[in-house]
Amino acid sequence: MKKSNLITTSAFALLVAVSATSARAGTLENLERERAITLSDLISDDLSPNERQDRFSNAKPRLVDLERMVMRDPSLKGKNTPDVRRAFSNYDMTFLMHASVEKDRTVVDHWLEQMGVTTSSLMSANVGRR
Amino acid sequence: MKKTILLAGIAVVSALSTPHLALADAKWQPQSVERLVKLPATYLTKSIDQDFRRSELGQAVIGAEKNIGLKAQSLGELNDAVTLADGEIKTELRHRMLVEKHAYLELMADRNDLRRKQLLTKRRLLDKLLGEIADQNGSDNPRQRALIARQEEAQNRFESSLSKVDIQLFNSVDAPQSKYGKKYAENMSAIEKLAQKIDAHQMNESALLDGKAVSQEQYVRALMADTESELAILQQEETILGYMAKLVALDAMSLSEEGLNAEIADSDIPNMSSLAASVDLFIGNN
Repeated sequence: MKKSNLITTSAFALLVAVSATSARAGTLENLERERAITLSDLISDDLSPNERQDRFSNAKPRLVDLERMVMRDPSLKGKNTPDVRRAFSNYDMTFLMHASVEKDRTVVDHWLEQMGVTTSSLMSANVGRR
Repeated sequence: MKKTILLAGIAVVSALSTPHLALADAKWQPQSVERLVKLPATYLTKSIDQDFRRSELGQAVIGAEKNIGLKAQSLGELNDAVTLADGEIKTELRHRMLVEKHAYLELMADRNDLRRKQLLTKRRLLDKLLGEIADQNGSDNPRQRALIARQEEAQNRFESSLSKVDIQLFNSVDAPQSKYGKKYAENMSAIEKLAQKIDAHQMNESALLDGKAVSQEQYVRALMADTESELAILQQEETILGYMAKLVALDAMSLSEEGLNAEIADSDIPNMSSLAASVDLFIGNN
């Protein structure tokens, strides 16, 4: 009887420990940092087109993986913080890679559209004093 | 002897009016809510009951129940003896019966105090458990519910674009599939097999209430309702104890009154003389 109690107690202790360690903090922060760096490289004047393309090619799979990690992170489900609420209120900005492929656009085009910078808005812009 | 019975009767009545002391030190500190919330509903009740039985308070309740059983037995034996006895022995036994009844009521009152402690602790535990379940389900906060709805919508949209992203990004020469992507795919099939096994496990069956499968939250709410009804019944039992105590006090007064009457009947005190009866002695011719 005592042995079976010990086994049962150990099994539940392991279940609790595994459940506690499976929560991963920081996936959203990692994604946002990586996305900010990638977008910064894409619109940077300091890089040549080839450098820009190389950096983007390296960043692409990393960004895709990070977006998937965020989507699959169980600790974010129902986590009612401003960062999480903001992230999920705008899917197109948060999951930029997946959303741009879904809409058949390049990443930069999709991002610019989310920022309100479109061809029509540029064409209708006036140059002048404020 | 009769004076002794009278004094004993008064002592019983006065003893009944003094408050009894409960076992205030016996405690029950239930296991953590974070652990309990992970247990299947069917195992939850058994786990809580076992935890209680092993606690100081649980042992005190078990001890109290045993003592009550023994006391009830001796009351039964005394009652039989009273019906068979007569004279002074009967009076003595009746006195003894009153003392034992008083002791029985004290034991019951102490046991009820312990039970109340147990039920209040259990109620607090179930309340915390309901809070924990609500936190996990995100059911209380409207903003949280809205967030969960957006996350589910995002999940659906995400799933629909997965294969397209894989084809566009990972079939091109300059973007080979990542280590995370490969490993994730391998692990997913193992996870799905394990999840199926867990779902089919007998310990993962939904709890039943009146033959219907219910959620964990509904099951805990039902346990809470049962605990509340036990507390209400305990309150009613205290009323019964009060009436029993009053009856014992009245029996004690009755016994002491019988003793007084017997003493008066046996006494040598002459009757009071009537003055009118001796008037003739004064109005006679002498």
